[in-house]
Amino acid sequence: MRADHTPRLSPEPPVSLDRRHFLKTSAVLGGALGVGGLPAIVNAFTTAGVRVSRPETGAAQPTPLRILILGGTGFIGPNQVQYALDRGHQVTLFNRGQTNASLFPSVPRLIGDRNDPAGHDVLKRGTWDVVIDNPTTNPQWVRDAGRALGGRVGQYMFVSTISVYRDNSKPNMDESGPLHAPTDIDAPFDRNAQFYGPNKVRSEQEAKAQFGDNVTIVRPGLIVGPGDLSDRFSYWPVRIDRGGDVLAPGTPNDPVQYVDAHDLSEWMVRVAENRTFGTFNATGPKTPTNIAELLYGIKAVTTSDARFTWVPADFLAAQQVRSWSEMPVWMPPTGRTAGFMAVNCARAIAAGLTFRPLADTALSTLDWYKTRPAAEQEKARAGLAPDKEKTVLAAWHARSR
Amino acid sequence: MTLDMRRSAPKTILVLGGTGYIGPHLVEHALARGHTVTLFNRGQTKPGLFPGVEKLIGDRNTPSGHDVLTGRTWDVVYDLPTTNPQWIVNATAALRGNVAQYVYVSSTAAYKDFTRSFPDEMHPTQDPAPISGPDALGAAYGPKKVRCEQLVQAAFGAGATVVRPGLIVGPGDLTDRFTYWPVRIERGGEILAPGTLDDPAQWIDVRDLMEWMVRLGESGTGGVFNAVGPRTVCGIGELLYGIKACFANDAQFTWVPQPFLTAQKVRSWGDMPVWSYTGASTVAFCTSVIEKALAAGLTFRPLATTVRDAMTWYHARPAEEQAKLRAGMSAERERELLALWHAQPREGR
Repeated sequence: MRADHTPRLSPEPPVSLDRRHFLKTSAVLGGALGVGGLPAIVNAFTTAGVRVSRPETGAAQPTPLRILILGGTGFIGPNQVQYALDRGHQVTLFNRGQTNASLFPSVPRLIGDRNDPAGHDVLKRGTWDVVIDNPTTNPQWVRDAGRALGGRVGQYMFVSTISVYRDNSKPNMDESGPLHAPTDIDAPFDRNAQFYGPNKVRSEQEAKAQFGDNVTIVRPGLIVGPGDLSDRFSYWPVRIDRGGDVLAPGTPNDPVQYVDAHDLSEWMVRVAENRTFGTFNATGPKTPTNIAELLYGIKAVTTSDARFTWVPADFLAAQQVRSWSEMPVWMPPTGRTAGFMAVNCARAIAAGLTFRPLADTALSTLDWYKTRPAAEQEKARAGLAPDKEKTVLAAWHARSR
Repeated sequence: MTLDMRRSAPKTILVLGGTGYIGPHLVEHALARGHTVTLFNRGQTKPGLFPGVEKLIGDRNTPSGHDVLTGRTWDVVYDLPTTNPQWIVNATAALRGNVAQYVYVSSTAAYKDFTRSFPDEMHPTQDPAPISGPDALGAAYGPKKVRCEQLVQAAFGAGATVVRPGLIVGPGDLTDRFTYWPVRIERGGEILAPGTLDDPAQWIDVRDLMEWMVRLGESGTGGVFNAVGPRTVCGIGELLYGIKACFANDAQFTWVPQPFLTAQKVRSWGDMPVWSYTGASTVAFCTSVIEKALAAGLTFRPLATTVRDAMTWYHARPAEEQAKLRAGMSAERERELLALWHAQPREGR
């Protein structure tokens, strides 16, 4: 039954796939083998034989829910939709009808532009067990959604971020950590990155104001996997697959956190099934991991001749190599960022958040990346440019000689 | 990968042994590439394997055991199971002149000094064991392998191919020397990891080795080759973290320095499989230079593939075999050592 889902461990030149086709395929590959009502938790790599210890991830036959997904066609949304459908839920999408408009043709779609004063009017009818609000940073969108949906929502799940925290200097921070001062909801929305956290804080507050106790706030860290257009994780599989001398940042023990979009999305659907409320940090993996485990683990799915040169943080800083953007997933575990990659996710794990093997994430990301248009592949949005990597490595080797 | 695509003219291949651990992988690949295969063995180990393949029966321990090979011709012979030089004497006598290439599976253990890092094929070998006489049978593994190599080379000259693998791993490996790690990591929890991340580790997936050996036969490549992987120098950290990537559990590594392990009588290689360190009595097994084999087309699967397939095979084994691994350390011993290590007074604690 699963033989045809065996992944290619040696990536071949991809068959040309459009994004829509790919997303559907990847959803199936990535976990939605919802055949015969089985809980769709098996994933591509493990189906091929490696058994993993996997916590109970919910009832085999959840009670069908009416789920309204705001957005739903971007990066994490399609995973939620596919998983929810496979588990027998009724899904409705609400968005502008512009992004990946042909995704999920059989799923009812409500059209509205959330920047438009009347954009949420189409939500004034209907009742929902769950509303999942994926794309919102603008607190006004939460307010307008709340007003349109009235009291006809059993649960409102808001996708926030760990960027809401004001102080990232302490590892193991839980959900009670101090937040940024919120932005003013009545001021014009400022999408500038410096207001990302404050806007999310205000949006969280507005969610509670609109939906009372029926709110679930999910605060993910770095969300990764197929479909991620930010390249903030993909850089590593792609770079390692290319081989040669790879600049690795900091020390092997520097902590990292990330969550596969499938794991996050599927867990959110289960949170809805379980009617779990509250606020959750949601990144991974389950136990602390470090940048060496990440990079060596990624290498394990390739046939690459990559070798890693570990370059300390202060040298990288002196070479103007930026953490996070140029050295993705990595933040020096010192000073103001000492806790940024070591957030406490115990609550989410207790509430059923599970994690697939890194090999799955690495392989599916690499396969997906190779289906992207050549122009996108050449212009990565994150990571170190090859020339700069060479220069910095040369400087490091010269110095350490 | 491109090498795999290159098809040679079909060869006639004789496999001595062929039904143990490594042999079936070679036979399968040779058949898949269109070659004609003949097996020669006692007919006792897995006699039902490869029903469509010609089988010659003989016991290499009997004086006339190789007679059935006399007078037949093949392009290539693969001698997989031999450590006893007398077997080579008899086999080469029967096959010389009728076979163009003799591929002999030797071992890194042929080298004289295992404590020296980075042996290439020119590294001095052990003094060869005697072929016969009172000291022949009791000779050590390495000296026997060296004598076998020399006998093959004397009989076949440029047609002799000597392959010196390191640790051969993957489905079918009954030694558990690699399997220990995926099994241990799958169990999760706190794991004793030996030495430092950069201590050397080498291994080769049995399929990579066998498929490459088939290609050596296709191209008629003679010579002596170290044959282990991965392609580039690898640390034990890369191995263990790579294995961990195949699982989703709470496995966490505690790296315990080598001097502490040595003081606790933990041996590299045996108690902590695949691992060695500079100066250890096994370091040659983990640092072989493989440039020659790479140039001759040796390629490597992703580690994740080896782990997945080794574990699929492992979980199909009888429960008592799964419970009693032949290499590595017991869960109790690991717990004891970790407790001792954590109780050590250390700077910064």
